[in-house]
Amino acid sequence: MKKNPYKVLGIKEGASYDEIKRAYRELAKKYHPDRYRDNPLSDLADEKMREINEAYDTLMKNAGGAYQYQESYDQTYENSSASQSQRSTGSQYQSQSTYSSQYQSQQQNQNQNRYQSQYGYADESELERQARMYVNSGNLNEAQKILDRMHTRNANWYYLQGLVFLRRGWYDRGYTNIQKAANMDPTNYEYRTALNNLKQQSTGYRQNNYYRNTYHNNPDMCQICGTLWCMDSCCECAGGDLISCC
Amino acid sequence: MFGYVEPDKPELKIREFDVFRGYYCSLCKSIGKHYGTIPRLSLNFDLAYLAVLLDSVGGGMTFGKMERCIVHPIKKRYVIKSNPFIAYASDMNILLTYYSLKDKWADERNLLGACGSLALSRAFKKAKKKHPDKAASIEGSLKELNRLEKENCNSIDEAAEPFASIMREIFECHLIEDESTRKTLGWLGYNLGRWIYILDAWDDLEKDAKTNSYNPILIQFAYKQDNLDKFKEEVKEKINFILTYSLSEAEKAHSLLGVEKNCGILDNIIYSGLIVKTDKVLQGRCKNHEKESI
Repeated sequence: MKKNPYKVLGIKEGASYDEIKRAYRELAKKYHPDRYRDNPLSDLADEKMREINEAYDTLMKNAGGAYQYQESYDQTYENSSASQSQRSTGSQYQSQSTYSSQYQSQQQNQNQNRYQSQYGYADESELERQARMYVNSGNLNEAQKILDRMHTRNANWYYLQGLVFLRRGWYDRGYTNIQKAANMDPTNYEYRTALNNLKQQSTGYRQNNYYRNTYHNNPDMCQICGTLWCMDSCCECAGGDLISCC
Repeated sequence: MFGYVEPDKPELKIREFDVFRGYYCSLCKSIGKHYGTIPRLSLNFDLAYLAVLLDSVGGGMTFGKMERCIVHPIKKRYVIKSNPFIAYASDMNILLTYYSLKDKWADERNLLGACGSLALSRAFKKAKKKHPDKAASIEGSLKELNRLEKENCNSIDEAAEPFASIMREIFECHLIEDESTRKTLGWLGYNLGRWIYILDAWDDLEKDAKTNSYNPILIQFAYKQDNLDKFKEEVKEKINFILTYSLSEAEKAHSLLGVEKNCGILDNIIYSGLIVKTDKVLQGRCKNHEKESI
């Protein structure tokens, strides 16, 4: 069953064009495939992203919030979507939106092509290719088996091993291995991006703090008094006076 | 080892705080009803979080009323009416506490561990009968943990694995029917478990260095009986990374759950409570884990 697009985006029915856009941006950031790249839940995130894209599409096509959600929506939507989806590849929104998953996958393909042509895992051995495939499909035990079988431990081996650890949840070893890969082959774009991504994830979580956490850093009474006293002393040194009574 | 998962109290709304406490009280009462008065002492915050989380994911209506209890006989407090999720959390509380007390006795010959596990043994049998599969898998993971400790395992990741697996097992509650939701819950639990284990190891650094007990952080970074403060300064960055990364993964699972019910409390814990706790413990402001009262 199709869900109410307003509910998917978490907005009120009849929300304005801007509100829909804002809600979409926020959600797209949250479930962005980049964030879930080395995560065992990536398929669920993709599904969510698809849902959000679909809801956004539906609302946008119906001209900024004039869209009415009805109980019979399922049927009408199914009917109309069949014809719409054929046209939709060229629709304005998709060529504009930076967050849409289509764009995303395109970009990933481009990136991959770039890796392959420039930094070459094109010349990666058959075993390495298999290991990579298993990592991507989430079959970690098989990937680990293949990695254990390999004797040459080059940068790519450490990188793949790092990915296996990350997916498993062994972040310390994952980080160490990827760092090693990046050190062994500093020119490799893929290793460097992965390493930066790791650092970014953890700092991002801290900065992305939901609350501003102001009270944790607020000056307490002691600090305020101390500052006042300092200022007073400084002023007196310079010949003036800030607090006349002392 | 328990009690690190807490909301960031000053950021909670008063209503949210009441609801959270309502769950906590309800959990306590549920233990009292099913297992007797003494096991109630074993309740901790992590399981209160589990109760709120499962009940919120499960959806449905929640009712509450003002009640008195033994600990607070004078003033009535808001208590959530018990439901299967809360009962589940209370069963898990018994299982976990029993095993950890028994472990304490086996490892350190801690007298509290012996008395505690003895006092809990009847309750434990009852809980085990209710959830034989969970009990078996927790027991298996704890055996693994014991083995790693005996072998002086030199990897933080490896040492954290058994406890993280226990948490995954507990979070994957059979009452949640949807498969992918259960998987997401499991990943949330797994990462919280890692975080708890490593944070606890950091909290115990001083004690373990003094008594020469097993501590994965001391071993992995090759602590030589000299200056502990310097050692802590050196490895802090690394530990901070592992902890924060684990939390960021837990946060991802949390956002995928997309829970609406009680989202104020749950968001508060995930986005603020956990990170505040991390900083407190890393800076050593949480010496041997003082427990805030609720």
